[in-house]
Amino acid sequence: MTLAPPAVETTARSGSAALLDRFSYDDEIVRKFLFATLIWGVVGMLVGLLIALQLANPVFNFNTPWLSFGRLRPLHTNAVIFAFAGNAFFCGCYYSTQRLLKARMFSDGLSRFHFWGWQAIIVSAALTLPFGFTQAKEYAELEWPIDIAIAVVWVVFAVNFFGTLAKRRERHLYVALWFYLASIVTVAILHIFNNLSIPAGPLKSYSIYAGVQDAFMQWWYGHNAVAFFLTTPFLGLMYYFMPKAAEGPVFSYKLSILHFWSLVFMYIWAGPHHLHYTALPEWASTVGMLFSVMLWAPSWGGMINGLLTLRGAWHKVAADPILKFFVVAVTAYGMSTFEGPMLSIKSVNAVAHYTDWIIAHVHTGTLGWNGFMTFGMVYWLLPRLFQTEIYSKKAMELHFWIASIGIVLYVVAIYSAGVTQGLMWRAFDSTGRLAYPDFIETVVKLMPMYWMRAIGGTMYMIGMFIFGWNILMTWRRRPAAYEVPVIEAAPLTRKYVALPVTVVPAGPTVGVYGRFVGVAWHRKWERAPLLFTALTILAVVVASLFEILPTFLIKANVPTIASVKPYTPLELAGRDVYIAEGCFNCHSQMIRPFRYETERFGEYSKPGESVYEHPFLWGSRRIGPDLAREGGKYPHLWHVRHFENPRAVVAKSIMPAYSQFLRNPIDFDGIQKRVDVMSMLGVPYGDAVNRASAMAREQARTIAAAIVEQGGPPGLEDKEIVAIVAYMQRLGQDIKVAKVAEGTVR
Amino acid sequence: MKLSDIMSHAGLSMYAEIALVLFLGVFIAITIRTFAPSNRRALHEASLLPLDDGTIVTPRNRGLNND
Repeated sequence: MTLAPPAVETTARSGSAALLDRFSYDDEIVRKFLFATLIWGVVGMLVGLLIALQLANPVFNFNTPWLSFGRLRPLHTNAVIFAFAGNAFFCGCYYSTQRLLKARMFSDGLSRFHFWGWQAIIVSAALTLPFGFTQAKEYAELEWPIDIAIAVVWVVFAVNFFGTLAKRRERHLYVALWFYLASIVTVAILHIFNNLSIPAGPLKSYSIYAGVQDAFMQWWYGHNAVAFFLTTPFLGLMYYFMPKAAEGPVFSYKLSILHFWSLVFMYIWAGPHHLHYTALPEWASTVGMLFSVMLWAPSWGGMINGLLTLRGAWHKVAADPILKFFVVAVTAYGMSTFEGPMLSIKSVNAVAHYTDWIIAHVHTGTLGWNGFMTFGMVYWLLPRLFQTEIYSKKAMELHFWIASIGIVLYVVAIYSAGVTQGLMWRAFDSTGRLAYPDFIETVVKLMPMYWMRAIGGTMYMIGMFIFGWNILMTWRRRPAAYEVPVIEAAPLTRKYVALPVTVVPAGPTVGVYGRFVGVAWHRKWERAPLLFTALTILAVVVASLFEILPTFLIKANVPTIASVKPYTPLELAGRDVYIAEGCFNCHSQMIRPFRYETERFGEYSKPGESVYEHPFLWGSRRIGPDLAREGGKYPHLWHVRHFENPRAVVAKSIMPAYSQFLRNPIDFDGIQKRVDVMSMLGVPYGDAVNRASAMAREQARTIAAAIVEQGGPPGLEDKEIVAIVAYMQRLGQDIKVAKVAEGTVR
Repeated sequence: MKLSDIMSHAGLSMYAEIALVLFLGVFIAITIRTFAPSNRRALHEASLLPLDDGTIVTPRNRGLNND
């Protein structure tokens, strides 16, 4: 190891007279991403802990709008996925890519732009989501200006990555790089197409898709965000860092190749399993289930490959906390990829959907797989990046055990909650009536489990603080100036020179089979990053098109209902309040065609009911009851009182109070712009295109007068409460006069 | 006539089946190729790449004639 000046690369002549390039790796950018991982991990998990407490007791909403569950839940998910896991991926990616390619990153400037750009995006998320700026699409909540920034920063990352591939000194692309590459291109495709929307203000937009089509796009994105942001990047990290920690190669490189291609071919099809028994076409739901079940095999192949990488090193696991983290991470990957396909089976999904079972499943993956893979990787990197011993190995052990116990407490509690609620919803008594007709009964039952979840989460959080303390103490022991090793490696020749004939391994070289196995076509792909990328994109795009296009283009998939009309301007404003508060995080608007659902909530939901829903608001969790048929169930005043103080109406409700609705004014002037955008999207607004504000004021006065008649407070005609009451009272009303117009399309 | 009318009557379902067969064919080809005996040595060498950070890399010809 020598001290190196240069970030610049020079060519030197070594003793053997071969021309070698001299260069150094950029570890400064890796250190930056490491600290960002720690900081955002702490922030994201603290928000998670707060919202866990809010479910156990609504007092933790602090009667403060920007601290309420509906606004903070997306902040938690975005922070842990894109900030914690994202920065962890970038940290490991920048470290391993340079070493696997024997090249410094393409551009230090682009690396820094990527780092600071990504942190700015995270800060933007933290400054917008708690204040109600959201697109209402899970894991894609950020509004359009931030979406554009994400696209720009992602392209910069891609240019930097592909630029490094272009100047590499290692001919073969190791499998970890394939996983990174697939993640980079697929995330770009997913992000762009799911976020297509028309702006209706500086931080407000409407999705160009509606109803069934929007749901399809969202869960094509949503599931693949899990696949290509939380799975494939971390598999790349696994295939690099586990061999490093175990000091031996991956168990089966062949299996890793199959693992990669299987995931690329199959994952993209699996999204519709998030929409079983909804208004999604049956064929799409079935395709999603079949591909999800098929994913079982490659996922477990990868998991076994990871664990068997420790062959011959199992004796080290007991003594090395880094390997312990990796073992639990890979085991959690195995558990969640066993459970995912199981949950995609329709009959299992019927019980689990909308319950905490899904939350438990997700947290097995994130806390176990992403969290522990990150911890193991960072602990492995610490002495190498800070060029000193790790401060405390005992603290690493403590972190491992306290976080492991935390995960167990969390998931056992929430699995129990999910199964309990799923079974209570479908229970009938001996007379054939719902055993628990009052939805709140099924919520109250979960309280002990919610407290246990909060305890488990606290333990994981304590582990996170130990992790942070150990990092900071190790950092403090760093040398005054980091040593920068100079690397020497031969540049690649412009033309690939194949093996001399004399050393070609024995095997057939003639005939079709001989040409197939002898001609290294797959290895040519591996040496040609652009072709490899094109083929990966092809696999993803073709699969996506075959799945998505029929829903958009074949009319039989979304039969319309003649009586379904657009929302009035005031109802649209109320819907926007519903979106801003994140009500869809707790309330679904999608009644499944089961007797226990129709008995509880009313007639099941039809695809044609959502044709004007930009975006769709079907939801994915029922912490509160479904609202698809809420209209007309209660008088206006009931809703006013309920929003003002939910526990004044439903004693054990855990819903936050929304008393600000009675104070906040409606932006009547802004309604016209929103109606105009909806009209641009094809919603037939007719007269409202010219006089939306006046129509909204008129309807607001009518509702405010009715509230006074029912004994409510006066002076609400210009307050948000009348808008959201208007929206609540409209839900499910159109279907009551429905006549399915067979064969007619919107 | 809308695009959805044209697409609905175009009878395109067979294209999805053709795509499925093509995808399956490519996947089987990759599988056979991956497990072909002639690749054993090359893949073994590839699997060692993470272990080869080389703080100082001595002169070598990786990628030129042993890839």
